[in-house]
Amino acid sequence: MVRIQVPSVWNPEGRTDFEADEGPLPEVIRRFAEAYPVMRRRLLDAAGEPLLYVNVCVGDELIPRHLRRDTVVPAGATVTIIAPMAGG
Amino acid sequence: MLLIPGALFDQGSPPAALDWLMSQDQPLPRIWFADETPQRPVALAPYRIDRYPVTVARFRAFVQATGFRTDAEDRGFGLVYDEHGWIERSGVHWQEPGGPGTGSVAADNHPVVHMSWRDASAYAQWAGKRLPTEPEWEYAARGAEFRLWPWGDDWDDKRANTAELHATNGLTTLEAWQQWWQTVCRRDGPLPQTTAVGSFSPQGDSPFGCADMAGNVYEWTSTLSQLYDEATVCDPTVRKAMGTYRVIRGGSWMNLRYQVRCSERMHGDPLGWSSFAHGFRCAQDA
Repeated sequence: MVRIQVPSVWNPEGRTDFEADEGPLPEVIRRFAEAYPVMRRRLLDAAGEPLLYVNVCVGDELIPRHLRRDTVVPAGATVTIIAPMAGG
Repeated sequence: MLLIPGALFDQGSPPAALDWLMSQDQPLPRIWFADETPQRPVALAPYRIDRYPVTVARFRAFVQATGFRTDAEDRGFGLVYDEHGWIERSGVHWQEPGGPGTGSVAADNHPVVHMSWRDASAYAQWAGKRLPTEPEWEYAARGAEFRLWPWGDDWDDKRANTAELHATNGLTTLEAWQQWWQTVCRRDGPLPQTTAVGSFSPQGDSPFGCADMAGNVYEWTSTLSQLYDEATVCDPTVRKAMGTYRVIRGGSWMNLRYQVRCSERMHGDPLGWSSFAHGFRCAQDA
């Protein structure tokens, strides 16, 4: 399993921590968005692809958009989703 | 530009401001605002700051003089919020803020938008200025005494360009905001709802006479995002932006009253990202 952190304002409960299965980063994000439909429009485009302007950290590493397709999230890692404008 | 005298002031919000936020009809949790606490003393040397955000006309003068191309122009698309949410749209940039065919000379005196941190910094350097630091921005917005908005602690939706000015019904939930915005989009498309700079002067001005510091456009600062106190318990994704993002202040026409407070902090991706609500103003050493 991997830990996924999202902004507290993305769901009505203010929850920030979730779990998901490990795997290729785009697939981890897609599965997570499908499991939590309230966050789907913030993570995926109309075609179901991860939105590239949303930043993603795996551990402490910010993954550039051109490298996300080839990034694999190992078990035990934390994926943090950071909106391009955080806070507010 | 306005001359701001040197000062020692307490940057940020006191706990009572967060207590007040939690007592209001707004849905965001306390940890979302925690990055604006605790207050900390900051010493400022005298400086100058633009009275208004940089306008489309002024940015055009910069482009005509230098041939500068913005990040949005280089990559071929910009970020707008359509009926369903944020979307990267082809041909969107500062001259065509909602997409091809949406530019207008009527916007010349509006704040320029689709400004990335790099775009804003390049303009400032060309103008012989710089972006304000975060403390400089906050002090120019509220003066020495803590206040919620540039004019004081009593909200008045006629003093600033926020979503509350544009919407006729009360906006307190995300659903109400989306409903308002969908109505705008169906009527006009995803066009920025900016207003000419100074439209809310003098009633919306700061104690120093700075205009549009609440709403209109989000404004980049030069400051690298950091927590005021590492021990602060805040949203984990906001914490993750520290050390990478740059501080944005003032909120925009998209926001409600809570996001356009003088001590409200936002943090923006400085690596080329911008949107149809992001602009800036400049500062200068005195």
